[in-house]
Amino acid sequence: MKKSLTKVFALAGVTALLAAGCASGTGSTSDASDVGEVSADASATVRILMEAVPDTDIVKGLVADFNAEYPNITIEIEALAFDQMRDKLIASFQSSEPTYDLIVADNPWMDDFAPAGFLEAIDGRIANTPNYDHEDFFGPLREIADVGGTTYGVPFYNYALGYLYNEPLLTDAGLAVPTSLDELVTTSKALTAGDQTGLAMQPQRGYKIFEEWANFLFAAGGSIYNEDGSGALDSPEAQAALEAYIDLYNNAAPANSLNWAFDEAFRSVSTAQSAAMVSYNWNLPALNSPDSGDFAGDFKLATMPGGKQVLGSWTWAIPTNSAAADEAWAFVSWITSKDVDVERVVAGGAAIRESTLQNERVISEGFGADYYDAIIAILSNAAPLSEGPGGEEMIQAVGTELSEAVAGTKSVEEALKAANDAINTIQG
Amino acid sequence: MTRQRFLSSLRGIFLLTALVVVGFPLVWVTLASFKTPAQLNDPSLIFFGPSLINWTHVLEGGILQAAGRSALVAGITVIISAVAGSTAAYVISSYKAGGTVTRFGILAAQVLPPAVLVFPFLTLAYVVRVNDSLIPLIFAHLSFVLPVVTWFLIGFFDSVPKSLEEQARVDGFTRFKAFMLVVLPQVYPGLGAAIIFGFTLSWNDMFYGLILTPSKSAILPVAIAGFNTFRGVELGSMSAAILVAVVPVVIASFFIQKRLVQGISGGAVKF
Amino acid sequence: MRRSPTVNQTSVGWFQLRMLLPLLVVSGIAVGLPLVYAFYLSLTDFSLTQQGVAQIVGVDNYVKSLSNGGLWDAIATTTSYVLIAVTLETILGLLIALSLQKQKWARDITRAMLLAPMFITPIAVGLTFRFLLNDQLGAIPFLLKSLGLNYDFLGSGKALFTLALIDVWQWTPFMVLLLLAGLESIPKQPLEAARVDGAGALYIFRRITLPLLTPVLSVAILLRSLDALKVFEYVYATTRGGPGTETETIQYFTYQTGIQFFRLGEASSMAFILLIIVLPLIIFLFRRLEKRNTE
Repeated sequence: MKKSLTKVFALAGVTALLAAGCASGTGSTSDASDVGEVSADASATVRILMEAVPDTDIVKGLVADFNAEYPNITIEIEALAFDQMRDKLIASFQSSEPTYDLIVADNPWMDDFAPAGFLEAIDGRIANTPNYDHEDFFGPLREIADVGGTTYGVPFYNYALGYLYNEPLLTDAGLAVPTSLDELVTTSKALTAGDQTGLAMQPQRGYKIFEEWANFLFAAGGSIYNEDGSGALDSPEAQAALEAYIDLYNNAAPANSLNWAFDEAFRSVSTAQSAAMVSYNWNLPALNSPDSGDFAGDFKLATMPGGKQVLGSWTWAIPTNSAAADEAWAFVSWITSKDVDVERVVAGGAAIRESTLQNERVISEGFGADYYDAIIAILSNAAPLSEGPGGEEMIQAVGTELSEAVAGTKSVEEALKAANDAINTIQG
Repeated sequence: MTRQRFLSSLRGIFLLTALVVVGFPLVWVTLASFKTPAQLNDPSLIFFGPSLINWTHVLEGGILQAAGRSALVAGITVIISAVAGSTAAYVISSYKAGGTVTRFGILAAQVLPPAVLVFPFLTLAYVVRVNDSLIPLIFAHLSFVLPVVTWFLIGFFDSVPKSLEEQARVDGFTRFKAFMLVVLPQVYPGLGAAIIFGFTLSWNDMFYGLILTPSKSAILPVAIAGFNTFRGVELGSMSAAILVAVVPVVIASFFIQKRLVQGISGGAVKF
Repeated sequence: MRRSPTVNQTSVGWFQLRMLLPLLVVSGIAVGLPLVYAFYLSLTDFSLTQQGVAQIVGVDNYVKSLSNGGLWDAIATTTSYVLIAVTLETILGLLIALSLQKQKWARDITRAMLLAPMFITPIAVGLTFRFLLNDQLGAIPFLLKSLGLNYDFLGSGKALFTLALIDVWQWTPFMVLLLLAGLESIPKQPLEAARVDGAGALYIFRRITLPLLTPVLSVAILLRSLDALKVFEYVYATTRGGPGTETETIQYFTYQTGIQFFRLGEASSMAFILLIIVLPLIIFLFRRLEKRNTE
């Protein structure tokens, strides 16, 4: 009995090692193509993996127009929730056979994917695409797609944060939109009375709390990194920011909301149980849309108190193991072109080009001039959470320490020190 | 009140409480599936005009096909597990066949987190070129369903007295016939439970289902998890999808219970 | 009559092999191959974002994982979770199974309905409870508030217990399923005999039912515990491991290391460390159980 078993396991072992040998190694690094202009009768299927967000729906809505110009390119879009999408994306890179021909990448991943050879360098393509105007994209978004001096993608949509508030609630209480961290604290506390709270916060451990708190950090005049790339969380500004954050959680946020993320905060604000939240700029149309509830139309967007906010950005990128790289570029360059971008933003897409936000059609048919003014202000002074490789891990580590501080299991000093050490260890 | 009646009422109240605890979230889910997004934010809303938008959204989104695929994968997994598991469990229980290595070795995949095993499965699928089918998923499910079913049955076979089998052998049955006709029927309740549970494990798996199936053939849990979108959890649609997942299996388990679990008259043993 | 019923060594051996073969073949492919490959990965510096072939680094990953405080915290957290959840599930499951066995009216429907929580994929259960327990939107705090009570379900010091309760809600039906089947398999004669002799219900339960149920009960506890060790979806849906690291379970920790931070070789080593701890423990406990049974 034992003998046959050993044989079985040995056989299994050999097979597995053979499999490991055959399958190891990631996709081939093809030479970067310079094809910028793709002919209108190009024929291929472009499989795209995207995140299931409002902007993806808008992209789907524009595919028909794309096919009017490129009738033989079939676009297949698979849209998944964030973590599922990321898991599938990573899995797709592992195979030598192409699974997706075009993808979107979140900004922390760019510094890991590009050096790993997963993404095609597209400087050549951009240079050879007529009338593309790459400089028209907002600076911070272009920088995110640039890794080590080479461009690996073009912006898909931004998710810079801002201060979303219920205007009637503020004006009824005789309060102005806060413009500094201190004003944010006092305004939020003033709006907390009875069943209503001043700020629906998102202190969920990990990504959410860091994303929200970093805005406070900026408002206090601090930053995440020093000039030399080392962590800057051991500063007095960071301390002030974290203390203000904890103060707000204890006194102006909904009760028992320690695990709240976007969903809970959004629902709290849209039912007017909270007066404001710090969230993505393009959530305003969602808050004001007629079927969101009784308070639709009351909401407005402002820059974060202090003027600087956290930025996130999704970038279109062509995998090196793409089976239809040229056609993928045809689609990307079309959808990010100036004319189509206007259509996209009018439909509610998040901004990527400066010219679009100054376009008359957008201002008149979209969501109002002050909305777009706010976005321009937001995007001109925004920074991402992470720079450099190991972004996800750094964000999780800092997010864990922040969560400990808010939960009260670590002091503010301890938490910030640990967070700063984490930045230096992981990305130093 | 006699002692019997008292205990009986106590039992009744206890079971009723259990039903309420179990049922409360399920009732909530059912109500939620008929609520509009705005209505979902109101916890006190019980009586309202039902809306069908969640159901149309879910049904048009292909949830029934996803459920069909899940049923197929789970069905195949369970059948293989029941056959391989019952024969193996019998000899492991009666003869300690395979020794400690087999009995505990098959549990290894149970202990390891799927996050670690999923990439080996994926790589192997590519090597054997079955990656564009449901086959890798079936094997991944077998990795945790087969051991569970086997262990279930070892426990039940252990409860069957040896005398039963010896009597069958004396009566002239071959070993296999003794197994099939005399011993196996004794564990029908356990087999029924194992089938229900094995099916459930496969039906519920989301992680392997996400990575190992081709994009166009999403299985049910992946479809349900897809309602956790960036703009928030689509509670109404997710609730409708949950009901699609739960109701058929509850009905199926009802029938399996009736047939197998209560099949034999309480362990009729002829000493 | 085909064969004389004398015990023949070779024929018994062949019989065992033939009966065991399907399991061995399927397990060899479904369990053995991935296991070996995962073990191979644990000996390399494999990262999901690397180019080229992974280099063998021997036991480096193991050393790194063993000295990783986060891993041991996760093991401790998960152990508490398993102990709380499985204990509650066993006790409640046993009580419900005993009650169901004696039930006369609407038996099958009650049984089928009580099993329902098992059939919801865990992530959906997690998300449902996330909203049911939400302070402003959830039905449960709403009811509690109407009674004047306030409870921070997912707050510091309470989150892990709440997640264990969610586990109890979903998986007590499993215990019920298994224990009910076990109870129905118990031969009735010893119970009848004892009752005729005038033994009380509790005595019958402790001295006859429970010992006869032990094989099934121990398997139930084993399987449920192994499953509970892998808890992931509830954490993912509600707290993401927080507050702090209070609900960071082993599976969540390895998922983050392997798939979010791309260090799959290291994550594999963590998985095998877990295996080395858990498997011998199971073997030891079962051996002791078997010894007690044969005494």
